[in-house]
Order: sequence, then structure tokens, then C-alpha cells
Amino acid sequence: MFTQGIAGAIPKMRSGETSGAMTDDPERFEELVREHQAMVFSMACRYLRNRALAEEIAQDVFLQLYRKLPSLESSEHVLHWLRWVTAHRLIDHSRQEKRRPQSPLEDAGEPVAADSTGNADPLLSEMLRDLVASLPENARVVMILRYQEDLDPMDIARALDMPIATVKSHLQRSLALLREQLSRTKGVGL
Amino acid sequence: MNLDDELRAALRREDPAPDFTQRVLAGRVVARAKATHQSNRPIFRMAWAAAVAALLIIGLTATYEVRQMKAERAGRDAVLALRIAADKLNSAREKVVRLEN
Repeated sequence: MFTQGIAGAIPKMRSGETSGAMTDDPERFEELVREHQAMVFSMACRYLRNRALAEEIAQDVFLQLYRKLPSLESSEHVLHWLRWVTAHRLIDHSRQEKRRPQSPLEDAGEPVAADSTGNADPLLSEMLRDLVASLPENARVVMILRYQEDLDPMDIARALDMPIATVKSHLQRSLALLREQLSRTKGVGL
Repeated sequence: MNLDDELRAALRREDPAPDFTQRVLAGRVVARAKATHQSNRPIFRMAWAAAVAALLIIGLTATYEVRQMKAERAGRDAVLALRIAADKLNSAREKVVRLEN
């Protein structure tokens, strides 16, 4: 179910959304890129742990959006479409990567980002990013949508066309795994 | 902080490189040009086929015309040769008639 084709599988507008097809007007497209680039790039970056590759995939997703734009019906539809396509692009990418041998340089993670929140422990954040990136593909994308996009399980299920029970199960198992890994490696109890 | 908060902090959104938007827009222009080029391909193919067909017709017509001209010239040469031969025969016949008389 999760791996079904993108065409036709993306849910249409929810009730109450404004209708009217999006145009492929360049200025409108630029606005959409600026509005959603952080979301698409961050999903890719957290999933892949490689900034260059994340930018490349995000760029592809936006070019695909440009071609698809006239058939999308609203800003909400665009957001939903972007989440769907990015998630599937990332999963497809990591499945392809598994099939081909990698060079050590490609395995190198991204540099540690400076922590702008001031509250979080940068080392713990880095460790958590690494642990999330080591989760299985579907669980990883579920965790990213939950904690990066702050979606609840119902929205994640809708965004990925996945049963809600599967989403909850991925979340529970991933959190348990992260707690276990953290307590094992750093003795951090969260 | 609990794990949920730590995860939110660790997985918060991050901006791509400052030139990312420009690269996407440049990629759009390239993609659009490619699409236009591809959509123009049938027209180019039809124009190419028409040009080849026109050249073929012109070539065949020219060849036919040249052959026609050569045939006409050969016909004229043959008629001239027959006239010369007839003149020679006539003058020979007149000489014979004169000697006999």
C-alpha cells in the first residue's frame, strides 16, 4: 500500500479548502519554492544525513512540482503533494543505494549543525539525528514527519497513505529503539 | 527535556544553501527549454521530411529534363544525318544520269 504509485494516490483537498488549480506562473512557483524549501530540504537532510544529496533530491522534487503544478488544486494540496513525493523519493533513493556499493566518502555524515535553539544539547541532537537516520526507511520517514513536521499520527497516515496502526507501531518501536540506544551508548535516560 | 522535545529540537527544519532557490529556478528554465525542444521535435521531423521530399522531386525532374533534351538533340542529329545522306545520294544519282546521257 505504501509503495503504490504517486499518480492518483495523493488525496485531494480536504473539505473547507479553497479550490482553483495552481498555475505554473514562474513567480508563483518561486513563492512556493521559498515557502516549502526548508521542509523538503530538511526531510531529505534528516533522512539521508548528506546535505549535498539532500539539496539535489529537493531540487528534483521542486522540478517535479513545477511540471505537476497545473493539476494541483490548492496550497494545501501542494504541501501534501510535496510531503508525499519527498517521502517516496527518499525511500526509493535509499532502496536504490542499498543495491549499489558505496564509497566511504558517500557514507560521510553532514557536519554538526550549530544549535540555534539554545536549549537542546548539540551532542545529543547529533546523536539523535544519527539514530533516526539509521532507522528502517518507513520508520525513518514516519519519525521525520512526526518530529520535524509536527504531524500527528493521523496526518502522517494520510500523508503517506499508510494505515494509522502502522504509523503508531513505527513510532512506538522507533522511540523504544532510540531510548535503548541512548541509554546504551551515553547512559542518557529520557 | 524529554525524548519528544529532544527529537523536535534535533529534527527541526533547516534552510538549504542560500542559492538553492536560484538553482531550482535555473533548473526550471532548463527543464522548460528541454520540454519545448521535445515538443518541437515532430515539427522539425516533418519539415526535414518535406525538405528531403522536395529535393528528391527537384532532382528527378532535372534528371528527366536532361534526358529529354539529350533525346531531342539526338533526334535532330539523326534527321540532319539523313538529310546529308539524302543530298549525297541525290547528287550521285544526278551524276550517274548525266554520264548515261
